[in-house]
Amino acid sequence: MKNRLKVLRAERNWSQQALAEQLGVSRQSVNAIETGRYDPSLPLAFQIAEVFGLAIEEIFLRDKD
Amino acid sequence: MSEEVRLPLHRRPAFWAGGIFAAFAVISALRITDAIDATTGFILMVIAMLQIIPLTRASLAKQRSTGHLSPAVIRYTRRFLLATFGYMLGLGIAVTIANRTELSQAESFLIALLPVIPVMGMIWTMARYVIEEEDEFLRHRAIMASLIGLGAVLTLGTFWGFLETFEVVPHVWAWWVLPVWAMGMGLGQCWMALADRRASDFADDGA
Repeated sequence: MKNRLKVLRAERNWSQQALAEQLGVSRQSVNAIETGRYDPSLPLAFQIAEVFGLAIEEIFLRDKD
Repeated sequence: MSEEVRLPLHRRPAFWAGGIFAAFAVISALRITDAIDATTGFILMVIAMLQIIPLTRASLAKQRSTGHLSPAVIRYTRRFLLATFGYMLGLGIAVTIANRTELSQAESFLIALLPVIPVMGMIWTMARYVIEEEDEFLRHRAIMASLIGLGAVLTLGTFWGFLETFEVVPHVWAWWVLPVWAMGMGLGQCWMALADRRASDFADDGA
């Protein structure tokens, strides 16, 4: 699954560590999600959306999109 | 993205892990060539195992610096360390008694349980980690690493078993399953960490 995490994070000038702390996960988790190596669970995806103040589909995109 | 700090040698987990493997290789070679007896071999193994303390410290420090450290990891490390020393102690007592005493079958059965009880502690520790880890990605990684370890044990065990059947290789004791599983798990974690780093570097280059 593709995502816009890196762009959104850069827009807010947040480091991976800063985002990880807001989400209560490890920096590795943020890195793995950002690079598309790990798809987050629905609860974590909702939490990410909440932190950015966006809808899930504005952050995560299906591969065919 | 990932700022790597060059750590001094004694603070790198790989240094201590390499030390344990190298010491085990040398001690095994000395035992195989009969250069040392079983008791000396065991004492040297215990001394070599003490490197697990600096290895644990270096690993925790590294994990803390990379944002990998969760309370579940700290609990896992403490429990596993305790179980490892229990295993060494149980193994030492069992081997010493077995070497010096004529044991009945029932007594041998009980003596064999001495190192097995801490092994059950290790397995319980791993299971607790998967239950207690709140970071879903780290949990996923731990499960994948266990499966890689399990795959290594099953593949190598089956292959070795057939080679034994065809009388190509000597017999290997079944207690090797746990070390092989643990080594497979460790290699799995290293492989996944390397793949993560490559993906991260690729994303940086592409950005």
